[in-house]
Amino acid sequence: MTKVMRETTLQTLGLGNVIDIFERGQMPAAAADLVDEVFGKQKKRGSMVISGANGIVGAGKTMQLGSRLQPYDVRVVALDFPGAPDGIGKQYPGLVQAFGPEGAAAIMQNIVRLSYDGTRLPSELQQLKPRFLLEAIPEILEIKRAHYELFRGSFPDIEIRSVTSGFPSSELGVGVAHPAFPHEINKIWEIVEPEPSAITQLLWALGLIPVPVSDNWSFVLDVLFCGVTLAGLRYHDASNMPFWKIDKFVRKLMGPNPFRAHDAIGAKGANFLTWSCLHHLAEMYGDVFKPTAALTERKDTGQTWYPPNHFRPLVNWSLDESADEDFRAWILGPMFQMTSLMLHEKRGHLTHLNAIGELCAQFRSGILAVVRDLGPDTVAKTVRAYHRLQPEAAQSAWYPGAFNNMDSPEWQQLYVNAEHNGEVGVVTLSRESYNGDVDQELNRALDWLKAERIERVILTGDFHLSTQMVGADTSEFFPALEAAEAGSRIASDWSRTARRFADDFEVSVGFVNGKRCLGGMLELMLHCHYLMAVDGAQFGMPEVTLPVVPGMEGCHWPFRKARAEDWPKLLQLLLGGRPVRAGDAVGWLIDYAGPLEEALQTAWKVATGADHGLKARSVESGALDGVPREIAGLPPADSPESEAARKAIVQCIDAACHVSLADALATQAKHSAEFMLSAECRGGMVGTEYTKTMAV
Amino acid sequence: MSQNNGMYSRARIPYGTWGSSYFPAWQTSALAEVNIGQFAGESMNRILGLRKVPKTELDYLIIGSTVPWHWKFWNAPLVASCLGERIPGYHMEQACATGLQATLLAGAEVDSGANDVVGVLTFDRTSDSPVGVFPERRAHQRTVPLADVWDNFGFDPATGNAMITTAGIAARKYKIGRKETDEIAFRRHQQYFDSKRSGFLDRTLVPLEVLNLQGRTLGRIDDDVGVRELTLGSLSAMNELDTCVTGGTQTHASDGMACLLVATPEKARELSPQPEVDIRFVAKAEVRTHPSLMPEAPAMAVQKLLERTGLTMSDMKVVKNHNPFAVNDAIFARMLDYDWNCMNNTGSPLVWGHPQGPTLTRVVIEALEEAVDLGGGHVLVFGCAAGDVGISAILKVS
Repeated sequence: MTKVMRETTLQTLGLGNVIDIFERGQMPAAAADLVDEVFGKQKKRGSMVISGANGIVGAGKTMQLGSRLQPYDVRVVALDFPGAPDGIGKQYPGLVQAFGPEGAAAIMQNIVRLSYDGTRLPSELQQLKPRFLLEAIPEILEIKRAHYELFRGSFPDIEIRSVTSGFPSSELGVGVAHPAFPHEINKIWEIVEPEPSAITQLLWALGLIPVPVSDNWSFVLDVLFCGVTLAGLRYHDASNMPFWKIDKFVRKLMGPNPFRAHDAIGAKGANFLTWSCLHHLAEMYGDVFKPTAALTERKDTGQTWYPPNHFRPLVNWSLDESADEDFRAWILGPMFQMTSLMLHEKRGHLTHLNAIGELCAQFRSGILAVVRDLGPDTVAKTVRAYHRLQPEAAQSAWYPGAFNNMDSPEWQQLYVNAEHNGEVGVVTLSRESYNGDVDQELNRALDWLKAERIERVILTGDFHLSTQMVGADTSEFFPALEAAEAGSRIASDWSRTARRFADDFEVSVGFVNGKRCLGGMLELMLHCHYLMAVDGAQFGMPEVTLPVVPGMEGCHWPFRKARAEDWPKLLQLLLGGRPVRAGDAVGWLIDYAGPLEEALQTAWKVATGADHGLKARSVESGALDGVPREIAGLPPADSPESEAARKAIVQCIDAACHVSLADALATQAKHSAEFMLSAECRGGMVGTEYTKTMAV
Repeated sequence: MSQNNGMYSRARIPYGTWGSSYFPAWQTSALAEVNIGQFAGESMNRILGLRKVPKTELDYLIIGSTVPWHWKFWNAPLVASCLGERIPGYHMEQACATGLQATLLAGAEVDSGANDVVGVLTFDRTSDSPVGVFPERRAHQRTVPLADVWDNFGFDPATGNAMITTAGIAARKYKIGRKETDEIAFRRHQQYFDSKRSGFLDRTLVPLEVLNLQGRTLGRIDDDVGVRELTLGSLSAMNELDTCVTGGTQTHASDGMACLLVATPEKARELSPQPEVDIRFVAKAEVRTHPSLMPEAPAMAVQKLLERTGLTMSDMKVVKNHNPFAVNDAIFARMLDYDWNCMNNTGSPLVWGHPQGPTLTRVVIEALEEAVDLGGGHVLVFGCAAGDVGISAILKVS
């Protein structure tokens, strides 16, 4: 019987636990079956209709779903008014970039563009047998309701979902599938429906990320995004600080730059949507959501928040200590209050609430991770400070008790979960990049498994929120650019966590299901006794391009596991920065690559100790001799910073490989930390991002 | 007609809501590189923010500048947009009288009942002033290029004389000696540096950071760059350019902005950090004197003002003027029988420069701040302007 540390996010989609996937050796749902269920079998296959298809949301989703449904012969009907500006045509260059000219042409050929006048559906629609309507028309409740009636009148069995950002399903009378910007590529959909439907499971099977949320006015993303925008607006009113500068301070504090985001999305539409969400939320919950006059004005004018190019900001603003304290109260206070409301209303799985901010609203850490880090007392103090600044917000929608149970696994394991069946444990990562929170949660998950006497473990993604493993979260390195101790601590702590997979378990299997596993995530996975992947996954060490020196033992651990004749390949990987495909990495970097189901079944065999035919590669604990310092044919570095990083990486390899395994961790950490203090690191991507984000 | 009962009775200047940039000498700071109208708008917003005045309180904006700037056609609404508040307003100018005249116009605007809170924003960039090209069919050159600041300073079209010439002519008329003007200049420098060292200027001047196109620092405007401490000996040793006029006894061109608010009494109390301080308009006067005698015009304007109000110089708690030449102060002392040591206690344009539009605004701000320090009283502010004009006004702090 399966035991879980906390509910898996897959379970919220009705798709079971992750360990079930390995036990069964197959995914819990297949796209082809779900396409049959939603659109009918091949001969009777119906179509998908997207209304408002030329709008920002409609056009983006026409592309995203069109490209995914085209292989299944599901026609996509793009419906809009005859005079609507062509939003779909604008998407074509992006489509070519992603799928090539032939792929793009095939996708576009599968899209049927029809016009209607808003009152009568085009007669051609009958032949296309619409089975699923995704409504993306303007945010006016009466118009939406009339639109659904129009469709139901002609197609009584049609499934309807609205992309609305504000209206609850109970008001609309249809389910909600609320997507996140940018609509062409963002995979998150907030779903409101009584039970996980075939449509929702189909979205998952197509590689998208449906996230069930409760049926309340506005959804989680809107509360967070509109909320942080409103917090910025209120600070603007209180301080006169221009929006562009508030963006910089908000980005430094939390990650998003809400005003730039509005302008980037399109101020006219975005301003209205934000106002509309806040307006309805204020009616429902009180003044904490009340739009300010500046937003109300801009909902009609569509005026941008940033000045035009010829008036790029000229006079800088700064915050002294006291002003900074006020700023934190103005921004974090309402965000925490709004979060308390969402928790009180049980709007979703905590991992989802947390992830939505990160995946859709640029939060550096999800709002719950921020809250958890500060603790309930500091959070309540911050909200009280905010209420002193804006007393009317204290009148409603504040639930400090929502933060009382932070010790529960649901709060403690926002990014990492663990499951086991009494014999094998599965540790799942819900975050694509590794950071301090992931590190701590990973340790707690491993502690839990050890306490449960589990000695065989699989480390993998969560098959839901994390569709790839991109490496370390480079914003974690910011303190390391200032102090060697910070860099050394990060590298040492994270490496010690990674070593637990080598030392604490009888068998550990790293399983890569997504598109790629890079940098710090690869270093973590390499510590497992076996590293396995699906065909097509890519592995790489892009640190040299950032540039940084790998910190989680990437400069010696893989050499200790590989044969001497394969060392040049590892050196190429580290110094070239280019990824390799799973199939090409078997034997010297990973241990297995194969088709999905075969890979799942093999991983389970390895984990359970069944006959699997793979040989574990041992880790050499002594010093290594003959590790090369250069390789032939390495193309020149593309920048002086990368050139410096190559030299530093070679020095790190040299030093870490020429000491014992016991000493190598500290050696690697020292080299990694020292390079982060260099001018070359400061001049590269990490340093530039640090300057842009923190030096405001 | 007596004005000593005050004018613009519904208008007040809310104490402590004002501010000025430093005035770096021309070509010495980042201000030489930027659109001064944009700088002024953004700076006023920053100053109001520091003074805890929401910019949304502004109903109207009167801007004053004398040197053309990019997009000047769009006037106060444009500067208001740079400030971040879409309010109406207009532009005015009266050479170096601009700052005081704009303040008085704001008083009239509030007193008329048209607006409750009017911003006064004055600014100029004398560095690299634009060159205008004027088609002149009757001129033998056919087309006349004119560098706004320097060509104008060098040639009053009504008389043909340069500004500096008016100082020499006036000095000779009043038999002012070089020794006295050197002593005045020395005293003015002492007053400025004493005031700076005391921290007084930190209450009226706001350091500002100017950004380049990439958002990086282009420069910091945090000092009256170009002002240096002078000894009496060094002043005496300077070459005389005209009677009593040397490099030390005349002002220098500079760049900057200064702003204040004028509001109804209720609003003034609401906006001021010290609502108990009441600042009213008492009276104003303007005169135009004979050709090329500009330095005597301000003293004449003060005489006219005192006659009309029935007040005397002994009623004045603070006396402060725009003094492009030390000759101005010497003539004023002579005509009003007033000790020039007792005026311009916190500095004056003779020392900190001459950015035209904001000059008298900074004078007003410093004078009011000084009057509050002294516990209130009448404040006399006056100065000269191109065309042999003198302007004066009395404010009352209580």
